Amino acid sequence: MKDVKVLVLTGYGLNCDLETAYAFENAGATAYRVHINRLVANEISLDDFQIIAFVGGFSWGDDHGAGVVHAVRFRTHVGEALLRFIDRGNLVIGICNGFQTLVNLGLLPGIGGDYTTRSVALTYNDCGNFRDDWVTLRLNKTSPCVFTRGMDIAEMPIRHGEGKFYAAEQTLQALVQNHQIVAQYADREGNPAEGRFPLNPNGSILDIAGICDETGRVFGLMPHPEAYNHYSNHPDWIREKDLRKRTGENMDHGPTPGIRMFQNAVSYMHTK
Amino acid sequence: MAIHTTRKKGLSPDQVKIMPYRLEITLKPELLDAEGEGLRKKASAYFGIHLDQVRTIHILTIDAALTPEQLQKIQSEAFTNPVTQVSSYDPLPLTFDWTIWVGFRPGVRDNPGATAIEAIEDVLGLKFGAGEAVYTSKRYCVTGDALRAQDMDQIAGELLANDIIQQWRIYSRSEWNDHDGIGFILPKVKLDHQPTVTTIPVDSDETLAAISDERNLALNPNDIPTIRTYFSDASVRSVRQQVGLSDPTDVELEYISQARSDHCNHNTFRGLFHYQDLATGETADEDSLFKTYIEAPTLFLKEKKDWVVSVLWDNAGVGRFDDDHYYVITGETHNSPSNMEAYGGAITGIVGVYRDPLGTGKGSRLIMGSYGYCVGHRDYDGPLRPRLHPRRLLDGVIEGVRDGGNKSGIPTPFGQVTFHPGYMGKCLVFVTALGLMPTRVGGAPAEEKKTTAGELLVMCGGRVGKDGIHGVTASSEVFSAHTPAGHVQIGDPYTQKKMHDFLLTARDEDMIRFITDNGGGGLSSSVGESARFSGGCEVMLDKVPLKYEGLDQWEIWVSESQERMTVAIHPRDLDRFMALSRLHAVESTVIGRYTDTGKLHITYNNTPCAYVDLDFLESGFPKWEFEAEWQPPEMRGLTEPVLTPPTDYGTLMLDLLGRPNVCAKEWIVRQYDHEVQGGSVIKPLVGVDRDLPSDAAVVRPVLASSKGLAFSQALLPAYSAIDAYHMTACTIDEAVRRLLSVGGDLDHIGGVDNFCWPSIQFHPEKNPDGKFKAAQLVRSCRALKDICLAYEIPLLSGKDSMYVDGHLTGRYGEAHKISALETLQFSATSVIQNIDDCITMDAKAPGDLIYVLGVTRNELGASEYYEHFGYVGTRVPKVHPEESRRLYKAFADALQLGLVASAHGIYRGGLGIHLAMVAMGGNMGMEIDLSTVPADEAVPGHVCLFSETPGRLIVTIAPENRTAFETVVTGNAFGQIGTVTQSGGDIIIRGAAGKEPLVSLSIATLKSAWKAPLGDLI
Repeated sequence: MKDVKVLVLTGYGLNCDLETAYAFENAGATAYRVHINRLVANEISLDDFQIIAFVGGFSWGDDHGAGVVHAVRFRTHVGEALLRFIDRGNLVIGICNGFQTLVNLGLLPGIGGDYTTRSVALTYNDCGNFRDDWVTLRLNKTSPCVFTRGMDIAEMPIRHGEGKFYAAEQTLQALVQNHQIVAQYADREGNPAEGRFPLNPNGSILDIAGICDETGRVFGLMPHPEAYNHYSNHPDWIREKDLRKRTGENMDHGPTPGIRMFQNAVSYMHTK
Repeated sequence: MAIHTTRKKGLSPDQVKIMPYRLEITLKPELLDAEGEGLRKKASAYFGIHLDQVRTIHILTIDAALTPEQLQKIQSEAFTNPVTQVSSYDPLPLTFDWTIWVGFRPGVRDNPGATAIEAIEDVLGLKFGAGEAVYTSKRYCVTGDALRAQDMDQIAGELLANDIIQQWRIYSRSEWNDHDGIGFILPKVKLDHQPTVTTIPVDSDETLAAISDERNLALNPNDIPTIRTYFSDASVRSVRQQVGLSDPTDVELEYISQARSDHCNHNTFRGLFHYQDLATGETADEDSLFKTYIEAPTLFLKEKKDWVVSVLWDNAGVGRFDDDHYYVITGETHNSPSNMEAYGGAITGIVGVYRDPLGTGKGSRLIMGSYGYCVGHRDYDGPLRPRLHPRRLLDGVIEGVRDGGNKSGIPTPFGQVTFHPGYMGKCLVFVTALGLMPTRVGGAPAEEKKTTAGELLVMCGGRVGKDGIHGVTASSEVFSAHTPAGHVQIGDPYTQKKMHDFLLTARDEDMIRFITDNGGGGLSSSVGESARFSGGCEVMLDKVPLKYEGLDQWEIWVSESQERMTVAIHPRDLDRFMALSRLHAVESTVIGRYTDTGKLHITYNNTPCAYVDLDFLESGFPKWEFEAEWQPPEMRGLTEPVLTPPTDYGTLMLDLLGRPNVCAKEWIVRQYDHEVQGGSVIKPLVGVDRDLPSDAAVVRPVLASSKGLAFSQALLPAYSAIDAYHMTACTIDEAVRRLLSVGGDLDHIGGVDNFCWPSIQFHPEKNPDGKFKAAQLVRSCRALKDICLAYEIPLLSGKDSMYVDGHLTGRYGEAHKISALETLQFSATSVIQNIDDCITMDAKAPGDLIYVLGVTRNELGASEYYEHFGYVGTRVPKVHPEESRRLYKAFADALQLGLVASAHGIYRGGLGIHLAMVAMGGNMGMEIDLSTVPADEAVPGHVCLFSETPGRLIVTIAPENRTAFETVVTGNAFGQIGTVTQSGGDIIIRGAAGKEPLVSLSIATLKSAWKAPLGDLI
């Protein structure tokens, strides 16, 4: 089986690069943490990779809108190479700040294959503050998204101040029709949050937490799958451990929903 | 990487002039303006000012030579989101009754202004030249009926801006000019000053003392003869003459002043205390509290504990995490700046303490931070007028640490808040940082570092301005619209994160020979200390990159401009180091080299500024001396209150749960990213509803490993009202119990002491109780040693902040000195071999047995219960370390055997409050029989429920583990006091079996009382 190489971006205030690289490696890929400027300077080429991860963090301190300056720099210096990268059938994931960057690049939602027009936005949370909390996601089985194949519900942490998904009505309709809405905030049983705080932590329209392009190969989401890389990340794991011990069961140490997203990506590139 | 040198294609420089342009950006009207909405709510909640609507406009004032096409391009490509925003170079026509504009003062760090320049340069493919800049500001469009100018001024001055760092303007609708808007306000620093080195005569002690006062050097009068003797010495003068110097320069005296300051030299902790116990007549001369009570026990324990790697010399202490990694920890305070400008002080504090692990050994990656805030009451409405109301101050420090931590990509999984009126004079902002380093770098021990003659002295990170320089300039310069407001800073986590990533890469490539941070004292301190290893250095101050021209040489030398590290590199690594620095977009500059001449030699454009023997600071300075007089509480007139048990325990419980130091503070916790880096194991909030504060935090800093790092802190200043010895003992004990409760290892506990004390220097008028406060410090240090030895806690790091006093104006214009309680924050770490052993505090299952471990004593002195009634009392809680250590060992064994379902320490508020916490955590009821609580005497119900005796834990276990558990803890005080009942049930507490309940409350009622005061805040 060929090696799947993942480029994990770093630099300019990005964080989450270490755990994103760890999660991809855990999922069977080989991950490389690469400073944005190495791509800008053409020291490293996207041609050598099959997956690129725009990771979470505070690129450029989130000034002027989260992901805005990151997108400006990327579009200016790496934009065309990135379009070719997608065109070759590769995968792109944007997590939190990375999702914000993808929508500012116009890579998402990519309706009709237009990867340069900004038509959706992630803006300030309605609650008015940065928020760290775990959310439950309903995953759309009809979506073409490669990363969420075979998954229907997942819990993950959100950690952001600008995660409210917003778009004009027409765009929203297109997203619904194309099954591009991949992840929506829900209650713990998986019922739609319907805007209720804190289930929907930011006021996102249609409870949208993540979307993909029409091919399902470009995916962005506000929650952090890489921060659920181990069973002990889950807020209830100690209760779970205790209760299972009483019934003589072992903890489920299989891949977490976070790792499964990365495994889906790796196995897609394997079989491609 | 690409460097853009093309400028204004097709235009020669003289065709486009530098001009100011003002871009206004706002959200489209259909979008909720969360910032405006937040302001509207605060104006109503804090001041009763009712606003109908607030819309926020972000303003970029671009002072640059740009063409109309370029302006249009940056507007659409960088600064306006077409989906959510509209923007214009003319004032946006939003409706308002009033508009409030808020911008920075000159010289204040404008982080978004700096990133705007990066964005413009990227979009346009050019570089900003000298004199070009971007300034950010905001305009709030306010609508509402019958709003007055004074309402707007209150909102501007007390919610939006702080006049130390910001300026504001208020416009009514009729005053507003639709065309000009706010005009062009350019907070540019213009100094028009020729840098000058001043020579200072040392003909007499009086002259030097006068100059020290005049220049705000704060030289200690006792130090002056030593300084004068040195500079008058014939051989010193003859050597100085050879380099062109005679009398000392201002650069030299500033250097000495910084190095001798209490902040850098810890004169208090190294001083001589004449201690006297007025009750017993005991007298003792305590020579160096540091050596006796911190250094000696830590060195003793270092010999016993092979996990202790490096203590007592570097920026932070180092302990072993596993075979390949060390963890690093230190704690700091940033009290005075936060008291002046809460946001700026706090963000500078947290970002600053993060540089300590980065500058420990050859450099550590930051893995965790924590906070501790001590402030006046949020709802204070008395006559005293602090600079910032406690509510506003707390909002500001919360936000400062939030931005500093979150934007650094470092989790903040633990923190505490303590409210007490004593912090009205000066607040406390504790910030703690943990890092991780490999055990070896380039084949050598990573915790070791030194400088060697011939190595280059490099400054990395931010530039130098008039930041954090003591008041000299502020008082001696005429204030103008272009005077930099430098004495309060705003930390820049973005610049520092870039530097952090760069320096760790340089470390991994083995290019770092020495690294330390620039904090207090700036270059003066970092260069001075690093040069002691090689035995000398030469510094060229003219090489230091400046934010703006016009700084005197001494200002460059002592400026505390943030986000800078001082690094020693070998000349052969220079090119590689600089290339890596450029890749990471970090500025690095060679500003000198290390020597072995024994001299600190400073020049500016080849003119000498300083030539001092490095060992001068280590010799001949007299110790600070203090009179310390202890009076036991009874001699101070404290008595135990005469109080009968209450009849309405239920209401009492609910009222105690709503007290400021007990009630829920989820709104703070959730603003902090506590799971970045992906290693969260025990979060700050636990339980079924994820809303109860955990005893401690646990992270997995090495993701591939199942080892955990546990961390906790404690603050119990209230007990200092009786005796700081017991305050200290109880604080350490609490931190230890917190660690053990999540599964910490009793054999590996590292400590960090952070002292915050009111002034202890006696003065008959200005500090009449100084001798008592000095005695409290001696007693506190004695307890520190006693408990650390008993629990075997080496002190990995520690700091002291000694002047926690303030003068507040009252109703009649009179000023009151307000001193804080003697406060110690104690932090503790432990390594957990396998995180699968970790447990949390929440009750797990109905039917589980509830135990109390440890003896309950009649110790209500300074308790939350007494405080509720306004009492202090005398029976302060006391630690029994041998008894407790034995118990902790048994408890830890039970935990390791998997017999424990939940564990929670009994802390502030006592058993009653903490049973409620365990019940609320599990959302389960409890049946409790107080007669089974182990006590050393028959205690009445209110003592049993609210005494704060340390050394106790609440433990729940599955019923089938009863025999095994009791076997393990036998020989210690324990009692099965009840059982966990059904989910959503009631907590029922009886004085004895079969008696009527003292307390019978539903979990929902308890939770609603606990969340009532602050639960609505987000």
